[in-house]
Amino acid sequence: MTRIIHIIKELFRNLYKNPGTTLSAILTMTLLFLLFDLFWIGTNTTDRFYQEYISELNMEVFVAENIPDSTVKYIQEAISQIDGVTIESYFSKEDAREELMNIVGIDLLVGYEATNPLPRSILLSFEPEMLSTLKLNEVENQISKIEGVSYVYYSKSWLTKVEQTKSLISDFGLFLGGLILLTVLVSSANNMRLTAKTRAVGFKQMRLLGAGKIILAFPFFIEGILLGAISGGLGWGLIFYVKSKFEITKFTIVYPTFDEILIYCALTGLLGLISSYVGIKRLLRL
Amino acid sequence: MSDKTVIELSNVYLKTDRGNDLFLDLNFSLKSGESAIIYGAAGSGKSVLVELLIGRRFVDSGAVEVFGKNVKKRKKRIIRSIRKKVGGVGGIFSLVPTFTVAENITYPLVLAGESKKVIKDRLMKMLTEFSLLKQASEYPDKLTRVEKMLVQFARANVAHQPLIIIDEPLAGLDHKTYDRIYEYMGKLALSGLSLFIVSSLELKSDLPKTRSFQLVNGVLV
Repeated sequence: MTRIIHIIKELFRNLYKNPGTTLSAILTMTLLFLLFDLFWIGTNTTDRFYQEYISELNMEVFVAENIPDSTVKYIQEAISQIDGVTIESYFSKEDAREELMNIVGIDLLVGYEATNPLPRSILLSFEPEMLSTLKLNEVENQISKIEGVSYVYYSKSWLTKVEQTKSLISDFGLFLGGLILLTVLVSSANNMRLTAKTRAVGFKQMRLLGAGKIILAFPFFIEGILLGAISGGLGWGLIFYVKSKFEITKFTIVYPTFDEILIYCALTGLLGLISSYVGIKRLLRL
Repeated sequence: MSDKTVIELSNVYLKTDRGNDLFLDLNFSLKSGESAIIYGAAGSGKSVLVELLIGRRFVDSGAVEVFGKNVKKRKKRIIRSIRKKVGGVGGIFSLVPTFTVAENITYPLVLAGESKKVIKDRLMKMLTEFSLLKQASEYPDKLTRVEKMLVQFARANVAHQPLIIIDEPLAGLDHKTYDRIYEYMGKLALSGLSLFIVSSLELKSDLPKTRSFQLVNGVLV
């Protein structure tokens, strides 16, 4: 018990004997984590948009002109066998004409009462896991092979561009995240190293009296965990404070849940622990 | 080696960092309850001898045993256990600058995992014995040289360490303090502890159960 009390006393001694180093460590880490948090929000909000837009993606399957109406149901059956695909509706030639009329008006269709060049079509929707270029291409190929299908259409180039943008954002996010983590690690480790260095004479004496590495290193480990977790929490605290001051109604911003923030703080604490280990390793010859 | 032998140096040979011979076939033994004064000129290797005993340096050949345990490089756990049983005063043993006097004195008890009550009782005893009650919450940089030495004596004895190593205990002290420290060393020697005193001055040889040696040209005579 006395050892635990000693470790806690040492921890607070580290903090209050070096207030400048402690404050600079907290501010630097908070700022870096804030940057990371903002990017987290940006990425998740973009992802939400992406999911919302992509969920409205449909595919149209056009039926060949020479196929009798009775055969269409066989085409529909073949399509419904494909995993993750749902048939939303069937448009007969008359439905297509009516749809076009609703869009362009009746005047442009004068003279086409007897002849209707518009094709019959089947409108498809997809399960969320099917909504990628790769899987939709597969579905397109499968449907194209069905006898009686003349053409399959979906917003292929739009989807490709959206996927490329999303991939770019997540690559940049990974790079930025890695850079931020590295900066936190280096900066925090350096702060720990400086704090430990100011106490080098004392450590030497403690070692001479028989102190082991653990009792010397533990206060620094706890300090690292505390500073990391506090900085991580402060970053989110600042964001939620700003959020409470401004209301954005035009679109929904995605914020993490309380549980996610707790996990995040635990991870930033872990990062602090690693930093403190790196910072004092050489000094204590761990 | 008998169980009661505290220090055993056998055929110790050591070179300095520059490659000169420092110890040539050094042999020495100190039984429990006995004390020894090693004196020698500056540079004769007295402090190095202390470093060998607490595992800060290691012999080139021969053996150093403290409390029956061989002090060898890489035997960190053994070295730590030896250091816990050794009280140190002067030389390489100084005070932890960030600890108060009370914390410095009680640190060996904390390492030994003693209870809060034992720590408090022993601290009070030591503070009273060394007249350090007023300085208990001071930091070492506020203490005089003599006060620092008294704190080191208190720390060296607080956990009933069976061996106390004292490096240059009386150098530069005024008569009054000299007598006080000398008297205290006498008390320690009488109490059944083993003192290992290194000094550049030839001390009075009336410390009880104490033998004197001179370290000259790498051997003890």
